[in-house]
Amino acid sequence: MKHIFIIAILVIASTFAIHTGLSSIGLLPAQASAQAVSIDQLFGIYTWAIAFVFSLIVVILLYSLVVFRRRKGETGEGAHIEGNTNLEIAWTVVPLLAVFYLAYLGGKSLGETRRVDPSAMVVKVVAGQWYWQFQYPDYGFGSGDLYLPVGKQVDLQMTSNDVIHSFFVPEFRLKQDILPGRTVDLRVTPTVIGSYKVSCAQLCGTNHAYMIANVVVVSQADFQAWVTKQLATASQDPALHGLQLVQQFGCAVCHSVDGSKKVGPTWQHLYESSVTLADGTKVTADDKYISDSIINPNLQIVKGFSPNVMPQTFGQTLDDSQIQAIIAYIESLK
Amino acid sequence: MVESKSISKTGTPPTLRLGFLVFVVLAVLTAVEFAFALYFNIWFLLALMAILKGGLVMYYYMHIYKLFEAEKDENRESFAYKLATNRLGLWFFMLSDGFIFGGLFISRFNLLGLTRPDVNQLLGVTVTSVLLVSSFFANRAEVSMEHGNRNQAIASLVVTITLGVLFLVGVLGVEWRIAPFGPGDGVQGAIFYSMTGFHAFHVLTGVIFLSIVIRNLVRGRYSAEKHWGVEAAVVYWHFIDFVWIFFYPALYLIGTLPH
Amino acid sequence: MRKFFSLGLVRGLIWQVIGTAFGIGLVTGVRALMRLPAWKAEPAVVVGALFGALFFLYGVGVLDDWLKWANGEETSDEEVDETGLGRRRYFGASQDHKVIGIQYLTLALILFTVGGTFALIFRTELVKPGMQFLTPLEYNTLMSLHGIVMIVGILIGISAFMNYTVPLLIGARDMAFPRLNAFSFWIAVPAGIILLSSLFLGGFDTGWTGYPPLSVRAPLGMQMFFLGVSLSSFSSILSALNILATVIRLRAKGMTPFRLPIFVWAAIATSIISLTATQLIGLAFQMVMLERLLGMGFFDPVKGGNPVLFEHLFWFYSHPAVYVFVLPGLGVISELLPVFVRKPLYGYKWVAMSSLGIALTGFLVWGHHMFASGMAEYLREPFMYSTLLVAVPTGVKFFSWVATIWKGKISFPTPMLFVLGGIVVFLLGGLSGPPNATVSTDLLLNNTYYIVGHFHDTLFGGYVFPFFASIYYWWPKMTGKRLNEKLGKLHFWLMGPGMLILTLAMMRVGLLGMRRRVADYDPALGFQSYHIAMTLSGYLVALSILIFFINVFLTMKRGEVALGNVWGSRSPEWQVASPMPVHNYDKPVVVVGEPYDYGLPGSRYVKFEGED
Ligand code: HEA
Ligand code: HEA
Ligand code: HEC
Ligand code: CUA
Ligand SMILES: [Cu+2]
Repeated sequence: MKHIFIIAILVIASTFAIHTGLSSIGLLPAQASAQAVSIDQLFGIYTWAIAFVFSLIVVILLYSLVVFRRRKGETGEGAHIEGNTNLEIAWTVVPLLAVFYLAYLGGKSLGETRRVDPSAMVVKVVAGQWYWQFQYPDYGFGSGDLYLPVGKQVDLQMTSNDVIHSFFVPEFRLKQDILPGRTVDLRVTPTVIGSYKVSCAQLCGTNHAYMIANVVVVSQADFQAWVTKQLATASQDPALHGLQLVQQFGCAVCHSVDGSKKVGPTWQHLYESSVTLADGTKVTADDKYISDSIINPNLQIVKGFSPNVMPQTFGQTLDDSQIQAIIAYIESLK
Repeated sequence: MVESKSISKTGTPPTLRLGFLVFVVLAVLTAVEFAFALYFNIWFLLALMAILKGGLVMYYYMHIYKLFEAEKDENRESFAYKLATNRLGLWFFMLSDGFIFGGLFISRFNLLGLTRPDVNQLLGVTVTSVLLVSSFFANRAEVSMEHGNRNQAIASLVVTITLGVLFLVGVLGVEWRIAPFGPGDGVQGAIFYSMTGFHAFHVLTGVIFLSIVIRNLVRGRYSAEKHWGVEAAVVYWHFIDFVWIFFYPALYLIGTLPH
Repeated sequence: MRKFFSLGLVRGLIWQVIGTAFGIGLVTGVRALMRLPAWKAEPAVVVGALFGALFFLYGVGVLDDWLKWANGEETSDEEVDETGLGRRRYFGASQDHKVIGIQYLTLALILFTVGGTFALIFRTELVKPGMQFLTPLEYNTLMSLHGIVMIVGILIGISAFMNYTVPLLIGARDMAFPRLNAFSFWIAVPAGIILLSSLFLGGFDTGWTGYPPLSVRAPLGMQMFFLGVSLSSFSSILSALNILATVIRLRAKGMTPFRLPIFVWAAIATSIISLTATQLIGLAFQMVMLERLLGMGFFDPVKGGNPVLFEHLFWFYSHPAVYVFVLPGLGVISELLPVFVRKPLYGYKWVAMSSLGIALTGFLVWGHHMFASGMAEYLREPFMYSTLLVAVPTGVKFFSWVATIWKGKISFPTPMLFVLGGIVVFLLGGLSGPPNATVSTDLLLNNTYYIVGHFHDTLFGGYVFPFFASIYYWWPKMTGKRLNEKLGKLHFWLMGPGMLILTLAMMRVGLLGMRRRVADYDPALGFQSYHIAMTLSGYLVALSILIFFINVFLTMKRGEVALGNVWGSRSPEWQVASPMPVHNYDKPVVVVGEPYDYGLPGSRYVKFEGED
């Protein structure tokens, strides 16, 4: 009996210790969506469950190891106990109930995350190697950053241009694979104004690691302002339009405009500069060279970079006027 | 002497007449199945037929029951004991192999649903009946071997192999040529060529296996008591037929043509 | 020199080269005849590799007897006494399950080292944000190879466990099908070579899961990955078949189902999975190979194919596979605990049944890897329930272990340390499972380092620790010498903490949103310190393994000789002198009592026929 008593104390103690330890270091990232709430509650329950089960087993284990260890020069065998049916039934049935309860909770919180708001704003998400595009059918333009009004459910209708990608924003707690050839949808209700990152969570090839875009959650008013700005720039100054396209087609993923080297060469001071190619030859980056590099990147490979990294597809996805706009933008970085 | 005793323990060998009866039933079922498919294409009726046929083959031709007749405690080194162990091994192998075909089968319904590849019906029934007849002769070979009738066994196996080769010609030689789609054309191409391909590969191995057995039969390597080689090859052959019993409706009968 | 070339392994390798050349020539020739551009790398290399493997098997000599049979010749079933060959017999096609077991063990350790070394390389890359000395493709290749090499290594490793011990534990002379046994081992060798060759053929960047469409676009190395795994899958299928047949047919007299050593139950459960499910990973991979070679559009949406189908086929095997990895390990734990606590295994029957329970439920849960994959919505909940169900039989094992230790007389030699380490670490890994199993929480965890942490814990606790436990435990049986205790304990005390830091750091960053399979990470996330910790602890584990190798080396040179029943075990193999005689037991084993009646005076598990 003495044993049991001590162990009970220890188990309770270590359960609380572990739980406080875990919850104090802050296990989860900031919570920024309505869907996250029920999910985090479940995580809360799990920290308790895990703390308890772990303590239960490990405490009894360590306790026995100490108390029942074979002392110096001690001989003989352990107690001959073969089992106890009631006990065994108990430790089958209790966990059984426990896991069913957990599964029930899981189903419930899944239901919460799937709740549909008919007035949700639709955003079409197009993923590709290795870029994100977000189109706003209600307003008829696209963007490279995902701007969302706070407190309003958005229905992301996602499809992929090539392989499987995955939409993942830790602060939203949600993840959904994006399949080629069909549209899967994911509903998020951002609750906290701020800027986050959407990163691709499904290995999708060489630059999977860099397939990241900004998610900007803003107030209703700011969202409207942003929309009007987008609509305006599309018509005016080509350079601005170029900037928009560059964001939309994810060039910015690989090309910096501040001289820093990303996956691709920077565009700062690129225009009219002389570029050294992999084969050593020098060329001046005039309109022709740049549009070539966009339409057929492998034609000339910049020194220090590898071919087949930059997508070959922009020739089809971009039309002449758009390419001109991009060139105009690159020129503006001169 | 242990051998013959233990053999007789595993029941007197079935008669040729039984094998023939089973064959007739299978033939009738196949005909009915075909008619069903033509007139009212109800997939679960077809499935039912296939399961029925499969069951018959597995019981009477592959005599699965022999697995459970294996007597427990006796001399581990005796032929009978090893025979039982070998049977077990063979069945485990077929079980495992079955999962490949199961996977293809599932994939077919996942990808094509209730449509079917546009293939030549007439050829379909022909090759199917060819394979059916061949497994009748395979069974005949085994039974006559158990009765110690070697020449009949050889003759039957020769017929079996010829029919097997005919089946291959029918599927690979003809069907693959005349099919209006290639392996690269849509899922129906992928499914049709992979399913027939994997199956044909097994038929090929079966043919090789059987011809080796024939060679050793001719050389008098087997006896009424000891002919595991014959049994194994024949049971394997029935297994291939068993698979086709399900592939045939899956590829030819179930569902409607895509349009 | 002559002796050297007479080694089966060497002949096999030579033949593999010939075969590869032959296959490449064949394809090129046929293409030439068909008036196609003669040289096309992919089909040529694939067929080449395939023929290489076949020729290897011929060269090493595992086909000899079968060819003889095909030729109508008799071959004797008497094991030939190869002890004359000395060490050399380990390099040829032996049919002795003990030799094969040791061959498996060696191969497993080699793969483990190679795979681990890959991990060390890419972990070093992760120390700093930005790419240091690897390109993203190289990173992905090393990462993927690390995964698959380790997994193949595990499959080989459990075959090692089972091949060496099962016949001994059930008192059999050998496996039911010794030739098949040799075949199953030797096919794994060319498979491993082909798998690793992917490194030199452009690599592949899909992870060990090889999802299409990505795997359809990946470099040529992808094909070698698919082919290598498909071939090695035959190894585990056939050895599973062998184990099952052996256990069913060759048990000692009086060894009724509930008098089997508990490890044998684990072996049965494992083999049921390997025998059946394994075919589907082979199939899935072959389908992608065909899609690449012949443009068959199984998984290509443009042609109406369905990428999710691949995930279903893949996980239908690869989830049960994870229980293949652990069940033998858990079996070893249950097998060794009673020996070191001198007490019966608590609730033997339930433990035995729990193995089967885990194996069978394991067949119904594969969807939990696809909660975020976009599979049919209505499948998510059932898979959630079935997955959590597995916790129950696993729990039974844990509780019974604890109850076994309770009131024991516990001593702590190296094997016991690894057993205890295994229990704690696997508990951690196991408990990190349910949060993945409930769909909603998994939407955060899926494809993050949390998962990576989860399965390193389960794999270490359920496989690596028991694996080393059984090496230390059965080493005297295998060699007649005993591994050094001091070094053994050092090995344990480095590996334990090392891998704990590794996996806990993984879970930590994972929960905070660190994606897995990324070659580079944003410094703004502030994970660098954790990554440094992971890398260092990775090296710690490596060091411990290195010490293990040193231990083995020293013991072989001048180790403490141990010919008797070193651990005072009751099971049959320890009732005869070490190293095990060629024919295992000269007198047949007869079971006369319960396997684990430690502490019951005068009781015995087995006696030998003729003894009283
Ligand atoms: C050794 C192999 C092993 C083992 C044993 C397990 C065991 C379990 N695993 Fe794990 N798992 C992997 C190896 C393993 N896993 C691998 C390799 C992957 C990644 C594959 C990849 O994507 O690369 C993976 C991924 C993985 C996923 C997919 C995550 C994702 O990708 O999104 C999930 C989801 O459900 C999961 C769940 C579980 C569960 C519930 C168990 C359960 O079996 C655990 C049961 C054990 C316990 C729960 C502890 C003991 C129980 C008790 C003491 C009883 C009381 C407890 C309770 C009442 C909770 N695992
Ligand atoms: C048994 C299985 C097993 C084992 C033991 C390990 C061991 C290790 N694993 Fe891993 N790991 C996997 C199975 C395993 N792993 C799997 C399946 C994946 C998933 C892959 C995927 O996502 O597709 C994975 C993925 C994985 C990742 C995630 C990669 C990513 O997502 O980007 C990481 C990252 O840290 C990692 C790290 C490590 C480390 C540091 C070790 C260390 O413990 C390794 C320690 C070193 C050794 C064990 C080798 C010993 C070396 C020596 C002794 C050197 C001396 C040399 C000689 C003697 C010749 N592993
Ligand atoms: C996945 C990475 C990636 C993306 C996305 C990408 N590029 Fe590139 N880009 C590269 C790399 C790598 C190079 C250098 C190798 C080469 O010249 O092809 C490059 C080169 C270039 C060059 C030549 C630069 C120089 O210094 O000479 C131009 C211009 C260019 N890209 C434009 C674009 C545009 C426009 C887009 C989007 C519509 C884009 N890139 C998207 C990777 C990328
Ligand atoms: Cu897109 Cu990873
Ligand atoms: Cu799983």
